[in-house]
Amino acid sequence: MTPTHDELRELTGAYVLGALPDAERIAFERHLATCADCSAEVRELQAVATGLATAVPQVDPPAALRGRVLAAATAARGGQATVVDFPVRHTAGLPAWLAVAASLAAVALGSYTLTLRQRIDQLQVQLRDANARAEGVERDLRVARASADRAGQIAAILEAPDVRRIDLAGQASAPGALGRAFWSASRGLVFTANNLPPPAPGRQYQLWVIPPDSKTPVSAGLLDGTGEALTFVAPGTAPRVGAVAVSIEPAGGAPQPTGDIVLLGSL
Amino acid sequence: MTPANRDEANLATDRATVERMADGDTAALAVLYDRHARAVYSLAVRIVTDPGDAEDVVQEVFTQAWQQAGRYDAGRAPVAGWLMVMTRARALDRLRRRRARVTLVEMNPSTPDPRDPAVTQEALAITAEEAGRLHGALIGLSEGQRTAIELAYYEGLSQSDIAARLSEPLGTIKTRIRSGLLKLRAAMAGVGDTP
Repeated sequence: MTPTHDELRELTGAYVLGALPDAERIAFERHLATCADCSAEVRELQAVATGLATAVPQVDPPAALRGRVLAAATAARGGQATVVDFPVRHTAGLPAWLAVAASLAAVALGSYTLTLRQRIDQLQVQLRDANARAEGVERDLRVARASADRAGQIAAILEAPDVRRIDLAGQASAPGALGRAFWSASRGLVFTANNLPPPAPGRQYQLWVIPPDSKTPVSAGLLDGTGEALTFVAPGTAPRVGAVAVSIEPAGGAPQPTGDIVLLGSL
Repeated sequence: MTPANRDEANLATDRATVERMADGDTAALAVLYDRHARAVYSLAVRIVTDPGDAEDVVQEVFTQAWQQAGRYDAGRAPVAGWLMVMTRARALDRLRRRRARVTLVEMNPSTPDPRDPAVTQEALAITAEEAGRLHGALIGLSEGQRTAIELAYYEGLSQSDIAARLSEPLGTIKTRIRSGLLKLRAAMAGVGDTP
């Protein structure tokens, strides 16, 4: 059943106070994107919500709290909060120092004597060989390390003492799809999906986490492959998670969901 | 200095303070604390009620502000609004955890980005005068409107939870929340002075 505009309009208040359940909130946000009237009202009411934060009896905090807070805050600086840490994909490139060494060697020695020049030529050949070998070894190492890291990350998350399971159900556009996320606040998120239809050309699935209390899905990354039994890992510091969703987006992803939600589940 | 000028000056001071925090200036954090701890603590007490829990919320909020100062975007929301969004989220978290009686492993200090794009800058930039009018107008709401709004904002209940709590139909709760907020909005803007 699709709600009418008037029914949706009734939700502006509950929306700005964060009182809508996830599914309803997502539907309402989709409506907001297309309805100038409701958007304007939401903006107006958000100012009231902000005002409510200060519309409480004002009490002085205990004097001792100041020192405690300042000490704790500055001690915690090391733990820079990032929303989701993704593995950085290294681009395969030449070891830069070898290339630099080769050119420096050529410049420094090139003009002296023929013997030296020949020696340099030999060195350059050796350097090229070494370059090629190093590149191959490095690439192999990267691949091996990446898959070991990935397996380790998955295991760490699944074994985390605070791991929670979130089952995602297929939505209207992919009713047969199933998803499952394992989330640990301390270690990250593992996501798997089955029976997702292959995305249309130029489209890609994107994973979102929606923190509790927030209206804003945070991208957790793009899903590669056809959608059949894919696994996705976001290791490191995970955001707090209230719900997890997958939507279909233009290839390369979008900063906020724009397409159909295909999988959705909440804690 | 007119009230409007004072608001402007406060916003500028706050912005400069957070910039210094981003550069690692701990004295700036102390300044931020002195300017906003009372408001943060007061909102925390209103939500979690227990003073000890409220103190923990204050600590979490200022720790988060210190860690995320570099990511604070001045074009987005005034510092006070940024702190209040964090405070409410932290306090409601604590309340829900307590209410659900679940023992969770201590949460990682990371939290979602408080610069919620759904909240626009204008929405967070209310003036002291508007805030004053809002406080007065809260009293002028019908009991039903005020209760529904308070349960949603300060206790983090969903509209269906509120309906269940008050044994009222869901539709009634939706209407009360919206009509109450619209009334508050009008009062804040200085129109519709009748309560």
